[in-house]
Amino acid sequence: MKLDPRTKLVMVFSLSTLAVFVVDTLLLSIVLIISIIVSNFFKEDWGFLNRARKFILLLVGIAFLQSIFSPSGEILFGIKDFTLLTTGGLAKGIRVILRMLVIIISATIMKGSSPREIIQGLIQWKVPYEIAFMVSLAIRFIPILGQEAKDAFTAIQLRGIEIDKLSLTKRFKVYSYMFMPVLSGVIHRAKELSTSLEARAFRAYPERTSYIKLELSKNDLLIMSASIVFTITMLVIYILLR
Amino acid sequence: MKEVCSSNTFIEVNNVTFSYKKSEIILKNITTSFDKGEFAALIGPNGSGKTTFGKLMTGILSANEGSVFVEGKNIEEISLGNIGKKIGYLFQQPARQLFNPTVKEEIGFAHSFMGKSKEIVEQKVNKIIEEFSLQGLEDASPYRISRGERQRVALASIFINEPSFLILDEPTTGLDIVRKEQLSQLLKSLQPQGIGIIVISHDKDFINKNADRVIELYGGEQHEA
Repeated sequence: MKLDPRTKLVMVFSLSTLAVFVVDTLLLSIVLIISIIVSNFFKEDWGFLNRARKFILLLVGIAFLQSIFSPSGEILFGIKDFTLLTTGGLAKGIRVILRMLVIIISATIMKGSSPREIIQGLIQWKVPYEIAFMVSLAIRFIPILGQEAKDAFTAIQLRGIEIDKLSLTKRFKVYSYMFMPVLSGVIHRAKELSTSLEARAFRAYPERTSYIKLELSKNDLLIMSASIVFTITMLVIYILLR
Repeated sequence: MKEVCSSNTFIEVNNVTFSYKKSEIILKNITTSFDKGEFAALIGPNGSGKTTFGKLMTGILSANEGSVFVEGKNIEEISLGNIGKKIGYLFQQPARQLFNPTVKEEIGFAHSFMGKSKEIVEQKVNKIIEEFSLQGLEDASPYRISRGERQRVALASIFINEPSFLILDEPTTGLDIVRKEQLSQLLKSLQPQGIGIIVISHDKDFINKNADRVIELYGGEQHEA
């Protein structure tokens, strides 16, 4: 089913709002299942999860830190007087993972829409063109930045630096070197882009016309309304349960 | 799996197939080898897989099928750091391989990082700076110099490691005729030392003048020219 990007934005916003506000493991799990079902409905490519597997450790690490620094309930694991894991801390850690997964998976709903369609959707929502354009640039540049960071890391290693054999301090030093080419690339690209925009008369006229015009179908309106009603209902249930 | 190669072979490529997406095969069953002291050129139209091939031979990318051997050892078993000690790789966009605040630090990076004495690093850096005509740029930022100068800094920072083999992706981009000639002479002087070179380029004059062997990639297949 081809949906308007605005409908998808409402769905993403609804699911992310729930992920941020709900602090109940069961409700968060339900939101996660719904996010997976919706994302699957749009037949999104799940290959990104495979690529993101490196971040699983980071996710687990954050959850673990969360559980250490906000202990509550019974002690599950500790070293002498220092408590490492508690039942309450573990529950909080799990909730952090669930929340992040909901945000990541719900964002994949947008993958099927082109940046141009997203800009048009935002403009028709009366978002200023400059802001909408900046959003689309950010979306377009994220993978490029990732590639540049990866290239810099590869280049450092190809100078004969064996990362695995380095001490932790030296390893951090290597990572710090990655910022220079990425930052320089960003500044350079921003300068070139601004010159190119000026040269092509960006904002020469106060009004912009567009050959694309998005129209909301009945399905769009139905799904948008359902998303909003669902979000409000879930939030009400959550508040009542508390 | 074959692990032995002739004593003069440095890189051996066995039936390598590679694709970024399953539907689009970039390289199909490529089998070739590159010897020590050889000057080979990889040519082909845009998108024919030249850079991809270079990255496969440096271990930056892994083949979907087939294997690459460096000095008889499967590249999958060698860390990038170790490959970097043997093979010098010049990126198509040299700015991506520069990460130090000054040209001098950039060239001496590998040695300083590995803890070599200041005097030795200084001596080597000065020699390389002279060889690559980078005098006067020692304290300049590698990001605030011309493209041609940046290309030379990237090349210089590879050469300081004294690699046994070089894979240079578009090394003549941004170089003027004089610098191109200097590069040509420098590369030619490395061959008698047994250093092998693969140049990925569109620069026909440079290739015709220097390469002993030309491999053309077209439609994912290799054609020895």
